[in-house]
Amino acid sequence: MPENQQPRIGVYICHCGGNISGAVQCESVAKALKGLPNVTITRTDESMCSDAGQSLIEKDIQELGINRVVVGACAPMLHEQTFRGAVTRAGLNPFLYHHVGLREQDSWVHGHDKTAATDKALRLMSAGVAKARLLQPLDPIRLGAEKHALVIGGGVAGLRAALDIARQGLRVTLIEKSPFLGGRMAQLETVFPTEEEARALLHDLIQKVTAHPNVTIFMGAEVMGVSGYVGNFTIQVKQHSRGVSDDNAEALMSACTQEVPDPFNYGLTKRKVIYRPYEGCYSSTPAVDWDHYDGRPFDVNGWPIELKDEPKSFELNVGAVVVATGFDPYTPPQGEYGFGELPQVVTLPQLIRHLALSKDGKSLQWNGRAVRDVALIHCVGSRQVDGVHQPQEDGQVNNYCSRVCCTASLHMTADLHKRYPELNIYDLHQDIRTYGRGHEEYYRHALEDGVRFLRYNGEEVPEVSPAPQGDSHPVLVKVKDMLTYGEEIEIPVDLVVLAVGFMPRDLHGLDKMLKISRGNDRFLLEVHPKLRPVETAVKGVILAGSAQGPMNIQESLSAASAAAAKVASLLGRGKVELPPFVAAVDVEKCNGTGACVEACVYEGAIALQTFNENGEEVKRAVITPANCVGCGACVAVCPNNAVNVQGWTLAQYEAMVEAIGMDLPAMTEVTA
Amino acid sequence: MTTQTLSRAELLKQLRTTHAESVKRAQELLKEQKHMQQELCAFFREKPRTVPEAAQATGIPADKVLWFVAAMKKYGIVAEAGMCGDYPLYKKVEEN
Amino acid sequence: MDDLHMDALVIGGGIAGMQSALDLGDQGFQVALVERDPSIGGRMITLSKVFPTLDCCSCITTPKMSAVAHHPNIHLYTYCEIQSVQEHGAGFDVSILQKPRYVDISKCTGCRECEYECPITVPSPFDRNLGAYRAIRVPFSTAVPQKAVLDPEYCLWCGKCEQKCPVEAIDFSQQPETFTIEADSIIMATGFDLTPVSTKKEYGAGKLHNVIDPLMMERFLAPTGPYGRVLRPGDGKEPGSIAYVQCAGSRDETLGITYCSRVCCMYAIKQAMLLNGALPMADITIYYMDIRTFGKGYEQFYQNAKAMGVNFVRGKVASIREDADQNPILKVEMTDTGEIVEQTFDLVVLSQGIVPASHPTVSLPLGSDGFISVPAPDSAPCVTGRPGIFVTGTAAGPMDIVDSIVSASAAAAEASAYIRENGSRLEVEKEALYA
Repeated sequence: MPENQQPRIGVYICHCGGNISGAVQCESVAKALKGLPNVTITRTDESMCSDAGQSLIEKDIQELGINRVVVGACAPMLHEQTFRGAVTRAGLNPFLYHHVGLREQDSWVHGHDKTAATDKALRLMSAGVAKARLLQPLDPIRLGAEKHALVIGGGVAGLRAALDIARQGLRVTLIEKSPFLGGRMAQLETVFPTEEEARALLHDLIQKVTAHPNVTIFMGAEVMGVSGYVGNFTIQVKQHSRGVSDDNAEALMSACTQEVPDPFNYGLTKRKVIYRPYEGCYSSTPAVDWDHYDGRPFDVNGWPIELKDEPKSFELNVGAVVVATGFDPYTPPQGEYGFGELPQVVTLPQLIRHLALSKDGKSLQWNGRAVRDVALIHCVGSRQVDGVHQPQEDGQVNNYCSRVCCTASLHMTADLHKRYPELNIYDLHQDIRTYGRGHEEYYRHALEDGVRFLRYNGEEVPEVSPAPQGDSHPVLVKVKDMLTYGEEIEIPVDLVVLAVGFMPRDLHGLDKMLKISRGNDRFLLEVHPKLRPVETAVKGVILAGSAQGPMNIQESLSAASAAAAKVASLLGRGKVELPPFVAAVDVEKCNGTGACVEACVYEGAIALQTFNENGEEVKRAVITPANCVGCGACVAVCPNNAVNVQGWTLAQYEAMVEAIGMDLPAMTEVTA
Repeated sequence: MTTQTLSRAELLKQLRTTHAESVKRAQELLKEQKHMQQELCAFFREKPRTVPEAAQATGIPADKVLWFVAAMKKYGIVAEAGMCGDYPLYKKVEEN
Repeated sequence: MDDLHMDALVIGGGIAGMQSALDLGDQGFQVALVERDPSIGGRMITLSKVFPTLDCCSCITTPKMSAVAHHPNIHLYTYCEIQSVQEHGAGFDVSILQKPRYVDISKCTGCRECEYECPITVPSPFDRNLGAYRAIRVPFSTAVPQKAVLDPEYCLWCGKCEQKCPVEAIDFSQQPETFTIEADSIIMATGFDLTPVSTKKEYGAGKLHNVIDPLMMERFLAPTGPYGRVLRPGDGKEPGSIAYVQCAGSRDETLGITYCSRVCCMYAIKQAMLLNGALPMADITIYYMDIRTFGKGYEQFYQNAKAMGVNFVRGKVASIREDADQNPILKVEMTDTGEIVEQTFDLVVLSQGIVPASHPTVSLPLGSDGFISVPAPDSAPCVTGRPGIFVTGTAAGPMDIVDSIVSASAAAAEASAYIRENGSRLEVEKEALYA
C-alpha cells in the first residue's frame, strides 16, 4: 500500500487559463514549494483539469511513486471531484488528495496586488502540503438508495419530471399543493410557437403521468418536514381532505352559496368555495377551498352538512427530491402604471383569462365599453432599476429579465389582431426579446399587423393616468419614445395591459427544509449554470422549471427532463456514496463524558453505548456515519480530544495553521 | 491491399504520386514559407521590429507577415520584445 | 472492425453531445460518441471565457472532455464521419467512416516531436485560420485524444515525421475504413456554423482586413490564442477602438435568416467586458437593434457592462468600408436621433449568428429555418420527426451553452426512455443495468 509509506507529495498549480496566473506567479510558488519536506515534485500547467493535466498527475503517481497529491486551482466545489477521479484512476485512494482554492480565494480577489496574491498562494499551498502529509486513506460511506423520487409541484415541469423519472424505471411520488394538477399552464389558452391548445397538451401529459404504473399522486398535499440525505430522505407530508366525493359533489356544489374571487381567472370572476377550476380539470372531483370556506353548513335537501378538513399526515421515503414549485406572475403594487386604481389597467395573464371568458364579438369589451385602443407595456416587474422602481418587500428590485413576456406579449397582440382586426395596439417596450425558435415571427407579424411600437428607456418609464373628463378615452399613456427620437407622446387608450414578469415564489419554508438556497434574484439556485445546471448544493435535491428562474414551457420541459436524467443517474443503481467526512471516535481516548451527544444537533448521529472493558461496564461514544454531517460540534466540546472529523482532523488543522503562519522566503528572493 | 508489403520509401513515393496535385501546391507553399522565414528572420535579427515595418521592408502584405510571425512565435523562432506605440515588436530567438 | 452494438449513438462531440453521452453513460448505457474532428470539444473548447460567470472556458469543457474519455460506458470515435443511418427494428444500423490519421493512436503519446519536425506551416481552423500549426500536429493543447493527426491536403509525404517519432506511431499505410454500429437510439448533437457574411456585400463580404468574426475574437481573448494578445489581423496593431455590429446575419431578410441567434448579444457584451480588461484604454461600442439578455443573470451582466463604460448605441449599421490604412468605417443610422453618422474604428467584430452545421449526416425533417425540425416543442423539445432519433443543442436551433447543456440532459432522458421501451437489450440485461 503506497499510502502507508513515507509521504511523497506531488504539488500541482493550475494557471487556470490566466485566471490564476494573471495574479499569481505560479512558477515562483512551485519553485518555493519544491523545497518543502516530503514534496517530491511540483508542476504547473495551463489547465490542470484538462485531460493532459490530469494525465500528468496520473503519470507521476505511477512513475514517481507519488502517494499524496495537492492541486491549487479553482474552488473545490468545481473540480475537487475531477482530481479525486484522476488520483483514483492512477490507483491511489481518492482521499489522499487535497484541493487548494487559488482562484476564488486568491487570484480573483487580490488581482490588483500580484505580490500579495503570490505570497498568499504560497501560504495556502504550504498549508495544503502540511495537511497532505497527514492525509490517511478513507472509504466513502456506501448506503442503499431508495429507487423512488419525490416531485414537488404538479405543473408542467413537475408532471414532465415525474413522467420521465417513471420512464427510467424508478418509482415517483408527485405531490401538488392545490387540489388539481396543471399549474400555471392550465391558465393559458394557446402556446407559442405552435399555437396548440395549452390545456390539450397539458392533459395529454397528465394522462401519461396518471396512467404510468410507477407514479403515485397526492393532490392538496404539502411537505411539512424533511430529514435524511441523498438516497434516503424522509419526507413528512400533510394532505388536506378534498371535502367532497363524486357522490355528493354536485349536490353540495349547488347548495354552496359562498363565493370568492377566482384565482384561476386572477380575480376577474368569482367562484364557489367548492369548485373545479375549469371544465376538464384533473382530478374531475371538485374540492373545497379550505382557505376561504367560512365553515357554515350547506343546506342539502334540508340537511345541514358541514364540511371539515381532516388532513392526513404520512411519511415518504425517497432517494431524491425534484423541486418544481413554479413561479407567480408579478403583481404590481397599487398605483404602478395605475394598477389597482384605474379599472382599465390589467395584467397580461388577466387579459388572457378575460379573452378566454369573452364570447367572440365584433369588439373587445372591457369595463362596460368597447375597446378601440390598447397599450401594452413590457417589463412590468422585470428589468427594474434601483431608485426608479419601488422595491419588493425585501428591499430589492427585480433587476432580471423575465424572458417569456416579450414573446407572450406579441403572441397576445397576434391573437387580439386576429379576433379584433379594428383594434389599435400600441406596444411600449425597451427591447423586443423574441429570442426563441419561431418567436421572431411574432414580432414580424405584429409589424405587419400594424401594431405600433414605441420604445422607452428603462429609467424613463411610461406614465399611465386617468384622462381628463370628457376625453374620448378613459386613460392616457405618456411615453418618451426613442423610435421617434425622444418625442413625448400621449396615447389615449381604453385599456392598458401590463406584461408582468416572473416572481420567485414564497415556498413557505420548503427551501429551508430542503436546505437549498436562492440566488441574488431570489429564485432557487443551481450549483453552476454549466457544470451542474439543475442540481442544488444539496446532493439529491434537483430543480425543474421556473422555480429556478423565468422559463417558457419548452424550457421548463427541457429542465424537467434534465432533472429526471440526474435522478436516474443518482438512484438507478440503488445505492449512493457519501463523502467520508464524518466524525470518528478514538475509543482509547473516549471516557464517555457524553458532551458530544449533548452538542450534536443531528438525530441519531452520535450516542453513548455501554461496553464491557475488562469486566467493567463503560460508556463510549459511537457514531452512526449515515446520520452525521461532519459539522464538528462534537469535536469542539470533547474534553479528551477523542473525536475528530475524518479528513479534517485537529492535527491536520494545526499543521495547516502552522504552515500558513510560517516565515516564508519573500517571493522576490524566490524569483531571483 | 498491397500497401502493407511496400517498403517505407516506396509507400511514400506512391503517396506522393496519388497526391500529386496537393503535393505540388504544398511544395510551392513550402518554398514561399522558407523564403518568407529567411527574410523575416534576417529583419528581426537586426533589432526588434513591428509587423508593418517588416511588411514594408519585405514587400509581403502585413496580414501575411502577421500570420507567419504568429506561427514562428508558436514554434519558438521569434518572440515578442516590447511594444512600439500600438504595435508589438518581434525579435529573432537566437539558437544556442 | 467488428460490428458493434450500442444503446445509444451520439453524433457530435461538442458540449451538448458530451453531456448527453455522460448522462447516458452514468445510467449504465453503452454509448458511442462519434466526432468528425480529430478531437472532441466542439465549438466550446475554442472559446475564451463564458457568460455569465466568466469562467475560463477550459475550466468547464476540458474536465467534461476528460470525463468522456475515461468513462467506462462511453466509446469515443473521433475523426469519423457518418455514412448512412438505416432503421433496423426499433433501432438503427449506422455506417461510419474512420478517416485515416496516418498515426497509430495506440502508440502516439502526443509528444509533438512530429509537429516540430514537420517543415510546412498551415492555417489552423482551431484559431479560425489566423493561427498556424503544421501539416502533422496535435490539433490543440487540450485535445482529446491527445494524439497527432496528419493533414493529407498539405503533406509533402517527406517522411521526416516518421523518422522523428520516438514510438514509431506514424503509419502511412492507413486507409479509410468503414464500420457499422448498431444503436438503439441516436442523439443528434451536430452543432452550428456562423452565419455566412460572404454574401453580405454591405459589410465587405468577408474581404475587409480588420473586420472579423466573433470566434476570431474568442481566440484573441483566449490565453492560447494565435497572438497571445488582442491584435487586429490586418497588421498586428493593438486596437484602440473596437465596434460590434449586432444582428450581422441574424434577423436579416436579405440573407434569408429571419430568426434571432440568441447568443450574439451576450457574447458581444462578454467580449466587450474581456476587452475592457485586456485593453483598458480601448473604446468599445456595440451597435444594436434590441439587446436580448434574457437568461438567468444576463440582464445584470448587461448592466455591469454599461457601468464598466462599454458604449451601447442603438443603430443600424448600413455599410462598412475601409480607409487607406485598412481602418473600417461604419455608416450607422442612429435609431435614437435619426442621424446617419460615419465612424472609424481600428477593429470591427460582426456579431454573426448561428446556422445549422453544414454537414447533414442523417436524413431528418428540417424546419423552415434549416435546423432539425422538432414537431412538438411544447411537449417534447428533443424529439425529432424520426422515431428513435433525438436532437440537442444548436442542432435544434440557436442556443447558448447553458441551454444546450440542459437540453443535452433532456435528450439523454428521452433517449434512455426510448431504449428501455423499445431497445433490443434483453429484459434480463435491462434489469442488470440497474443491478
